[in-house]
Parts: sequence; structure tokens; C-alpha cells
Amino acid sequence: MQVTEQQRTENPLKTLPIHHKRITNKSMNDEINHKELADWLTAVGQDRDKQAFTNLFKFFSPKILRISSSKFNTQAIANEIVQETMTNVWRKAHLYSADKGAPTTWVYTVMRNVSFDLLRKIQSKKEDTLSDDIWPTLDVADEEETEFADHIENQKVLALLDSLPEKQQQVIKGFYFMEMSQEQLAQHLNLPLGTVKSRLRLALNKLKQHVDLQLGDNHD
Amino acid sequence: MIKHHPNTELLSGHVNGQLPASLSAAIAMHNELCPQCARTVNNMTEEQAELSFEQSPGEATNDIDFNAIDIEQMIAAITSDESIELLAEDVPMTVTVKGQDYKIPRAIQHMPMGKWNSFGKITRARMDLNEGDIHTSLLQIAPGGSVPEHTHKGFELTLLLQGSFKDEMGTYVAGDFIMLDGEHQHTPETTDGCLCFTVADGAQHFTQGINKLLNPIGSLIY
Repeated sequence: MQVTEQQRTENPLKTLPIHHKRITNKSMNDEINHKELADWLTAVGQDRDKQAFTNLFKFFSPKILRISSSKFNTQAIANEIVQETMTNVWRKAHLYSADKGAPTTWVYTVMRNVSFDLLRKIQSKKEDTLSDDIWPTLDVADEEETEFADHIENQKVLALLDSLPEKQQQVIKGFYFMEMSQEQLAQHLNLPLGTVKSRLRLALNKLKQHVDLQLGDNHD
Repeated sequence: MIKHHPNTELLSGHVNGQLPASLSAAIAMHNELCPQCARTVNNMTEEQAELSFEQSPGEATNDIDFNAIDIEQMIAAITSDESIELLAEDVPMTVTVKGQDYKIPRAIQHMPMGKWNSFGKITRARMDLNEGDIHTSLLQIAPGGSVPEHTHKGFELTLLLQGSFKDEMGTYVAGDFIMLDGEHQHTPETTDGCLCFTVADGAQHFTQGINKLLNPIGSLIY
């Protein structure tokens, strides 16, 4: 717990590093195999796949350890961040969606939130976990289990559907208007279940941006 | 339209998780209303994630002993827990101040908040964040109210959450992120009332006495 008085009282606005370096898609692909990471993360989320988790652990934990060690200057805290981050990856992987962004971004967010709460605990002696409220990006998935109530303005929604990409229209129409289950849709469209789920979610998000819909109760 | 935004330095600090909770919460609330800054933060996060994870762990690990972690044991411990993290429901939250209802943005819904205190048309509740010299509050100004002219040694952030106000520099709308340093003075006043989230770096070590004498109300408010 080495936080000096100086660090504590320093104006936080003066000491921030700024990263302007832009990363091209090419270098991203050269450096990190996103597809593989995304597959592992999806396997953990959907099938609780322990081997996939082990792969993720071996890829991320040394890097998390290095980042946390340079940030906190003690190995004990760095270990804690590895442990906490990887635990959250295990327990929250079902919230990850390959369509929403890179797996590295998702894991980074988990790690950053863990570090933020831990830093607060050290500096301000507060046990609160504010990070999930400040960066609620991990729960973009929570609309996937919801359904439009039957009486809702179908007409209005139908009109808006045309504004969606064809692939998203397919799942929305199948799920909400033909009342197929997500599993049936996956089979029917010959797609992985995860893809159906994320397309639904994306489509719903887009629709919600356009119309103020009251979402119904949870739907299994 | 929102005209006042957090600068790049602040957004970067937010992405890196290096800002005090008060400032990061303010940026999160701004971004909820400002798609442009939200997109910038998303891009920065993506970049930062790449930078963080692209290096091989062999580099710059002199002082770290990865062998101190029993990998197999840690993996086994983590995966033995079959439960998954369920999401807390995003329940809208409102607060009523002097008969006026206000929506409380998600970023501060779980922040410990003190009692509301009134000074004339100004009503304030302190957030109990324990961030040293940094004081964070929710500030409601009733219609027709104004904040007496004041300055701060450090910075003073006003994030307008609801309603509108104006000062010597212009008119502000919900989402405006108004960051002033110690050199600026302003006298915000509101016609229709407003709710603001304020963060001020007191840094009153040597000016406190004088400030108190000259401007007792200002130092009480922020």
C-alpha cells in the first residue's frame, strides 16, 4: 500500500500521460490474434469452457501483471489485480459480444475497472465499487433478454425495421414477429447462437435509439 | 447544444482509470449526453487496450516475478465457481429538491450523498468520496437564483445536469462540462432553475483565510 502523501494530494490533472498513437488495423492484426481471443471469450461465456479460460489466462495475466506492477509498484497489489480481473472475466464473459468490439477492449475495461476500485480503496479508504456505474459498458448485453410487449406500436417498429441492416432485420422479424426462439433462429439461419444473440441486441439498440419503447419483462 | 467538453487530457485520464471518481463520474455523465465525446472515449479505450496487450510479457518485467503466481492453482480456484455475474438492473432514480424532481444519472447513483442544505436559493448535497482537497456536490439553484462571485485556487468543474444557467461567458445547457481554473471568476445565474454536479479542488492551504473573509458563501457552496 505504497501511496505517498504527494501522490495523494497532487492535482490529478497535471500528471496524466496522453496517448496519441494511432493504431492501424494492420498492426492490430499483426500483434494480436483477436479472432482467437474472441472465440475463447465466447466459449467461456457460452459454454463455461475451462480450457478456453486457461488460454485467456495465459495470454492476459502476464500482461495485466506487468501493467499493474508499473502502476502500483507492488507485486502484492498487482497479483490482486490479476486475480480479480481474471475472476471477472470468468464470471462476466457471457456479457461479451464479439460484435460489440475487440476482446482486448473488453478485458482492458474489466482490468481498468478493477484497478480503479482498488486505487480508490487505497487512496480514499473507500470500499465502494463505483467503476461499474461510471463505465457501464460491460452490461450492454442486458437488453438481449427483453422482449417488446405485444401491444406496443408494431406499426412504428415495422417502419423503423427498414432502417436496419438486412441481417439484423432477419433476426428481429424472426424473433419478434414469427416468435421463433433464438436457438431456432440460429438453426434456421445457419448461424452460431452467439451471433443471433448479438445481432438481436444490436438491432434492438438501434431501434431504441429511434423510438422510446417500453421494454417488457425478462424473457427466457 | 452542448458546447463545453472535457479536454483530451481528461478523456485520456478517464480511459486509463487515473482520474478521481468525481471527475470520471462527471465525464461519464457528460458522455451520456454527448455522443461525440462518448465515441472519442470508445476509440481511446480501444487504442489503450491494444497498447496494453500487444507487448509480449518478456519486455520490461525485470521486477515482476510471474512465477510467484501459481497459475494452475489460480485458474482452478477461479473456474471452480460456476456462478455468473448477474447484472444489476438499471433502475431510474430521481431526487426531489425543493419540490422539483431531478433524474440522477447512473454514474452517481451509488455515490454516498450527504444531506441537502440550503443557502437561500442554493441547495447543496455533498458527495462523500473522501478525495482529499477535492469536493464534490450536487447543487440545485432555484429559479431566479445565482451563485455569488467566487474563485478557486485549483480547478472548478460544473457539469450541468438539468435546466440551464448563464454567466459572464454565455448560456449553458444540460451536458455542458464547464471547467474553470483559479484565474477565472464567474457568477452563474439561472432563470428557470437547474441541477449541477460540481467538483472543486479546494487547495485552500494559503488563501483560505482571505477567501473566507472575502467570500464566505462561495467557499461554502462548492
